[in-house]
Amino acid sequence: MTPTDPRLLVHAYLDGELDPAHALEIERQLADDPALAAERERVEALRRAIAEQLPREGAPPGLARRIEAAIGLRPVSAPARSSSRPSWRALAASVAVAAFLGSSATWLALSPGPADADRVVANHMRALMATQPVDVGSSDRHTVKPWFNGRIPEAPRVVDLAGAGFPLVGGRIDVVGRAPVATLVYRHRQHLISLSEVPGRTIAAPERQIAGYNIVSWTDDGVAYWAVSDVAAADLDAFAKAFRAAEPER
Amino acid sequence: MGSLNSEDDQARFASVVLPHLADAYALARWLTGDRADAEDVVQEACLRAFRGIGGFSGVNARAWLLTIVRHAAYTWLGKNRSASLVMVDDLEAVEQKQASSGGGALEQGPQTPEAALIAKADARRLEAAIAELPVPFRETLVLRDVQGLDYREIAEVTKVPIGTVMSRLARARRRLIERIGTGEPRGRARGGA
Repeated sequence: MTPTDPRLLVHAYLDGELDPAHALEIERQLADDPALAAERERVEALRRAIAEQLPREGAPPGLARRIEAAIGLRPVSAPARSSSRPSWRALAASVAVAAFLGSSATWLALSPGPADADRVVANHMRALMATQPVDVGSSDRHTVKPWFNGRIPEAPRVVDLAGAGFPLVGGRIDVVGRAPVATLVYRHRQHLISLSEVPGRTIAAPERQIAGYNIVSWTDDGVAYWAVSDVAAADLDAFAKAFRAAEPER
Repeated sequence: MGSLNSEDDQARFASVVLPHLADAYALARWLTGDRADAEDVVQEACLRAFRGIGGFSGVNARAWLLTIVRHAAYTWLGKNRSASLVMVDDLEAVEQKQASSGGGALEQGPQTPEAALIAKADARRLEAAIAELPVPFRETLVLRDVQGLDYREIAEVTKVPIGTVMSRLARARRRLIERIGTGEPRGRARGGA
């Protein structure tokens, strides 16, 4: 795979999947390269044709009923009659109400996860949209680590993971639970990984995914670590493993 | 997790699975190529989803269901169209070989058809061209361009890295462009009214 191939990236660009830096780069190349611009037009034409000619169709009429019957949601023989058992729509509505009231512990699993997880994901999203995902940009940990001096109470743990395929991009200050915390940014192929270090907090129930972002969290020496990224879950696990295994150079 | 409380399971199934039935059916239809077979696959997938509803994380119901549907469709393909799955393995091998040899990932095809010609492709032609795509390309293209999932969701459903989603999508589109942009469809005997 050559992810930097502009002929590949133009697809991701049209799908709105590129981060701002790569999107700008592609726009520059589109302006300079007529062949690439023609490819973009063909891809756009294809996507338009598919959208117009192959509209999404609904499920076939009896399918939902058959499935409801198969799992016992509805008596097989009386599909239309308002039976003693509520239809799935009514059930769904009651579920929504129950979840809203928070009255039934069974449904708590559906409610949003722990606040810190939401915050680190929001910080990561915000960083991706900003002109720069970092306040201090450097692949040298001896530049990144001192930058945090005086900005936050405790210097973060910064390790070099370039050898493991996760070069350091830099660092920034995020806010988690009203406190400024150090967030390191690493890169894996086209993707950024935000690693927030939150001292003195515990991780209640580890979330694995929020809003499509994968999350890996762990606690070392009283510091809660949150890694957030759109890399595959396995890659993020590998990152966490590499970070935790790295020499705690200080 | 056993279903200690089957009423709860049923309610959860109703709120998690049933809203995405149309998407489930669409994916099954594109994978099996047949409406009746797609219904069977979706029904089987829904039973699996119901049994596994306790394991659903509560994050992305659509991607979760589509993952199960895809799995059920692959099981179905293995039983009924094993040839198309043999091709998947070959394709992956070719893809990996090309990937490891570096460049040429997306060599320009011999023809570069006009965008205007592509835009005029009709439904039957598009469907036929998509149906000809090898399964990994087809499912990636359908999930993105027909069903509107983002790369991250497609990666989750098809269990490959996002980079692979991007390259499969690019290849699928390139193949379609070449098929549609080269004038007459291969099965021209059937064409016309």
